[in-house]
This record gives sequence, structure tokens and C-alpha cells, in this order.
Amino acid sequence: MAIEASRRPGRLTAGGAAVLLLLAVGALVCLLPFLFMASTSLKTTGETITKNSPIPVDPGFWPTAPQWGNYARAWTTARFSLYFRNSLIIALLTVAGVTASSSLAAYAFAKIRFVGSRLLFAAFLSTLMIPESVTLVPSFIVITRLGWYDTLAGLTVPFIASAFSIFLLRQFFAQLPNELLESARIDGAGHVRSFLSLALPLSRAPLFTVAFLAFVGSWNSLQWPLVVTRSERWRPITVGLTTFITEAGPQNELRMAGAVIAVLPVVLAYFLAQKQFTEAIARSGIKG
Amino acid sequence: MFERRRFPGRALHDTLTAYAFVGASALIIAVFGLFPVIFTMYVSLFRWRLSRGRFSGLENYLSLFGDNPAYLVALAGSVAGLILAAMLLRAGRQGGSRAGTYGGAGLLAASLIGIAVFLPFLASRGDREVFDALRVTIWYCICTVPPQMAAGLLLAVLLTRSIRGKQAFRVISLLPYIAPTVATAAIFELLFSLRPDSFANQLAGLFGAAPLQWLQEPRGIVALALGRGLPQQSARVVAAYWGEWAQGPSLALASIVFYSWWVFVGYYALVYMTGLGAIPRQIHEAAEVDGAGAVRRFFSITLPLLSPTTYFLSLLGVIGTFKAFTHLYVLRSPAASGTVDPISVMIFFTAFRRGNLGYASAVAVLLFLIVLGLALAQQRTTERSISYGD
Repeated sequence: MAIEASRRPGRLTAGGAAVLLLLAVGALVCLLPFLFMASTSLKTTGETITKNSPIPVDPGFWPTAPQWGNYARAWTTARFSLYFRNSLIIALLTVAGVTASSSLAAYAFAKIRFVGSRLLFAAFLSTLMIPESVTLVPSFIVITRLGWYDTLAGLTVPFIASAFSIFLLRQFFAQLPNELLESARIDGAGHVRSFLSLALPLSRAPLFTVAFLAFVGSWNSLQWPLVVTRSERWRPITVGLTTFITEAGPQNELRMAGAVIAVLPVVLAYFLAQKQFTEAIARSGIKG
Repeated sequence: MFERRRFPGRALHDTLTAYAFVGASALIIAVFGLFPVIFTMYVSLFRWRLSRGRFSGLENYLSLFGDNPAYLVALAGSVAGLILAAMLLRAGRQGGSRAGTYGGAGLLAASLIGIAVFLPFLASRGDREVFDALRVTIWYCICTVPPQMAAGLLLAVLLTRSIRGKQAFRVISLLPYIAPTVATAAIFELLFSLRPDSFANQLAGLFGAAPLQWLQEPRGIVALALGRGLPQQSARVVAAYWGEWAQGPSLALASIVFYSWWVFVGYYALVYMTGLGAIPRQIHEAAEVDGAGAVRRFFSITLPLLSPTTYFLSLLGVIGTFKAFTHLYVLRSPAASGTVDPISVMIFFTAFRRGNLGYASAVAVLLFLIVLGLALAQQRTTERSISYGD
């Protein structure tokens, strides 16, 4: 970052200490609800009512004896194993679809001159502004007409294309030097070959960004799965968590165990590759 | 691009290749992105329960806006007057003409009075649920976007100092944003429970407050703070309508606003940090040499040069509040009786719990027009005042 370079690290002034304190409090505020989730998931049902402090220095934070069995119950009895598997399948199919369709389309918009490309691109981008609530009812009618209600296709097909991913990748492909592609053409490579053997291998980072955004978007989505699923067959973990209260009663510890199960894949992946992730998020708004 | 003239027939070949490449995306986006906007207008003209019923023309819109179109026309006229006034004022300022400025100011005042009078009448004749949902959406927008932007900017500026553990803080501050909304909202449901020993109530107790109902409290925060309900039942339509606004957002909605801050401040800070990184250090150094203090530099250098980021975030934020669904759906409680349901949740319930797809589509068309208008207005007002600081 530009400004920090002008300051020398190491010296701790009074102002610096105040800033540090402020940031520490901020970090604590970010983390405490997660710690509370973890501790609640290990309590008994009674303890979730009597001992519900989110502050770890408070004895009310700690379960008397950690109930590890809660996870087994959430996984099997509350069927989070099924929801987890469903979410994983839905997310992976979406990621594969989005990455393939978006990279192809982005390559065409960036590197092939064709009739109607500007109009088409503008039409794609205009969909970014439209709230999901506006398209919800008509999309639902389309899905039922196709016979995809409560099926895997209904949960994935509408999301295997993404205008935003196309936009991101197009920016990147446009920077690839034309000379490179041209020399490939002289060697007899068509657009398909240039795309597969030049453009794709050169754009690992943006492809990773697109795949990550597609995964998180799919894993976290609630509104559409609520609308197009009825049975448990393809119910994703988000719907499982939301309908938990109405269907299983107020067992907070199981619900929090389910929340931990839902949070873990995303957060683990996030910690493993934090740098790419923070950059991916900085480039886009994945939540509405 | 690729010297097409030497290869006749290549243009056609390229176009065909391109359409093959774009085809899959175009099909999906056309069917599930563009077509629904037209289709929802079509559905809104029918009595559409689980399947298509009879054509009902504007019936759905009549139950939305009430049976007297005069109020709708008057309100639309007032909004048009507002836009015209803004144009006049800008022309007056640029051309230096007094007439433009006075005329603009007069029209502005008249339009505002028009909205203040006609909106209550329209709301009293139309569907109360829709107008309540609009008020919730607007409160939610006002209470989330500006504070989140300010806090995000503050954090970002603090983080430009080199501090040990900066990257760790950056990663942690994004955690609420990245984690699944349904999970984190479920946590907040426990933290803001109405039990006397819940976290929120213990916190309130530190300030000497009695236990509150939080997510279940339909009363407005202003009314609660005053300790009594404001006079709600008024015979005058206009007074009653604005009296409801004066109660403030319900405490239930305020609790959801806290959740929103927790989720989004880290994200706003991250985007602002990217923006700050693009400001050349030399500008700051030159100003420092000229004797400008940190505060002065912030207001005369940082803030103006950040205006593209601010524009991006405000657009994303305002339209985002009209799109927001998940946490509002998870954190809503029936006890808050409609004081937390924004327009997106209202559409969902109308369509999929009450099975009234036709009416939900009419409300969806209204939402679409509002978002379209907001996007255009935001584009218009900001494109001239943004400094890209070449």
C-alpha cells in the first residue's frame, strides 16, 4: 500500500497504541459470535438456556462437559450429512458450469470481433442490477414448466452462467497480448485451440476468483432453494438450517452444530488461501 | 484485429465461433435473467394462483395502489417535479442564472410538499402491507449504508498505518462477510433473544435498561426511547402516516441493522483499502511538506480521491438493501408483525406462502421500477461530482 511505505514500522506511539486497541476490539467483535456458536454447539439443551454468555472469560460461556455427541446427532438425526452432501454437489456443479461457460463467453467478448457483441454484453451486464425478488416468480414458473421442481437441475441450471464472472474474466482476457494469439493463428491454431492452450493456462488467478465466488454464492444461497425444493432429497444446508427450528423444535445446540458444519468448508477454504480470497472479494460484491 | 481482410469468410467464421462460445451463457442469462423481467409484467396482469387464472388487467395494480389513480398520478407528478427541480438548480448554478435557481428552489419545495401530502393518501388507499414493506426497506437502507461506509472508511484509514498483525486483522474482519448468512444470522438470533439473560439484554443492563424484546419488538425505537407510544391514531391521513415514520424503525429492525453492521463493515473497509492503495503517496507527501495536518489531508486529499470507491459502494449498498433477503428472512419474527419485512420478503411470502403469484408479480414490477429509478438517479447525480483524480 502506498501510504504505509512512508512510515517506519516498529515505533509504538500513543496514537498507535490507541489504534491497536481499537482494532483488537474490532477483531474481538468479529470473532466472538463464532466462538459463541462453537461453545453453544457443545452444550446440553438446558445449558443453551441457562448458560448463554458469548464472552469466554464468563463461566456462562463454557459447557460443563462438552457434548461432542451433539455433532453426531446433528450429522445423522438432524440429517445435516444429507444437506451437506446436497450443498456440496450443487456448489461443485455450479462452479464447474460457471467457470466453463463464463471463460468461453469472456474469451469471445475479449478476443473475437463479432456482430452484436456490444449489445449482447450490455444485455448481460444489465441483469446484474435486477433484484432476485423480481425474477423469482417468473423463474419459478419456468422451472415448474420444465418439470425441474424439486430436482437437482432446478437448483443448478439457472446458476451455471454468471454475467459478473464473464465481466471479470473479460477484463483479464482483454489484457492478453493480441500478438500472442496472432502468432498462434499463423501456426494454424483456431480460436478453440488459442482458448484452451493459451488463454486458460495464463489466467489461473482470475479463474480461481470466479470459481471461489461461484462456490460461496451457491453454498450461501437460500431464497431460490427455498422456492424450488420441497422434499429433503436435494435440500441444501442453508434450507436445512432455516427450517430446523420449525421441524425439530428449539434445540439450539443442534442448530449451532449445524451452523458449524455449514460454516466450516467456507471458512477453512478462506483461511487456506486468504490472500487470493481477500483480493477476490475486493474485486466484487458477492453478497447483495 | 486479426487482419480479417486477407481472409475472406473469416468474419463469418469468427462470428459463428463467437456465438458458439457465448451460446451457453446467453441461453441461461436470457431465460433466467432477462426473460423473467418481461414475464413478471405479464404474470402481474393475471389472477395467477398456482396456475394461470383469468386475465385480470390492472386488477393487481388496483389492489396495490388503491382504486383512485389520482393519488398515484399526483405522487408521480411530484417525483417528476423533484427531478425537474434538480435539473433547474444545476442549470442555474452552472449558468449563473438567478431565475433558474429561484425557479428550481420553488419547484423543489412544491414537489416535496406534494410528496409529503400525496404519499400518505396513496398509502392509505393502497395495500398497507406493501407500503409498510417499503418503509422497512427505506429505514433499513438509511440505517445500514451510511454508517457502514463511514465505519469502513475509518477502519481502512487506520489500517493504512503499518501495524503488526494487520493482515491477521484484515482476514478476521472479513470473516462475518464470508460465512454463510443463515449460520451467522442463527447465532444473532440467540444473542438478541428476548430472554432476560440474553447477551443483548445483559449489554442493555450495563446501561441500566430493562430487558427488551429485541427481534420480537414491533415498537419503533424513537417511541421506545421516549418511553411511550407517539400519538398513533390520528384522524388526519397525513399526520397519521408521518407519525408512523416518526416512531423510527422498530427495535426488531434495529437489531437486524446491528447484524448488518457486523457483516458488512469489514467488506466496506476492504474495498476502501483497495481505493486508498491507489492514491499516490507523493500527493500526501507534498501536502505534508506544505504543512497540511492529518485531518486536513484526509478531507482535502483522501476523501475527494476516494469518490469513485464511495460511488461504487453507495450504489452497491443502496441497491443491495433492496435485494437483501437471506438475513432478513432468517431474523424475522412473526411477533415483530410486519415491521421487519422488506419488499423482498413480502414478495416471497405473497408468492410462495399465500400462493398469489399474480399479485407478487405486480409488487415485483414496482420493486424493479424503484431499483431502476435509483440506479439512474445515482448515476446522474454522481457522474459529475466524482473526481477520478487523473
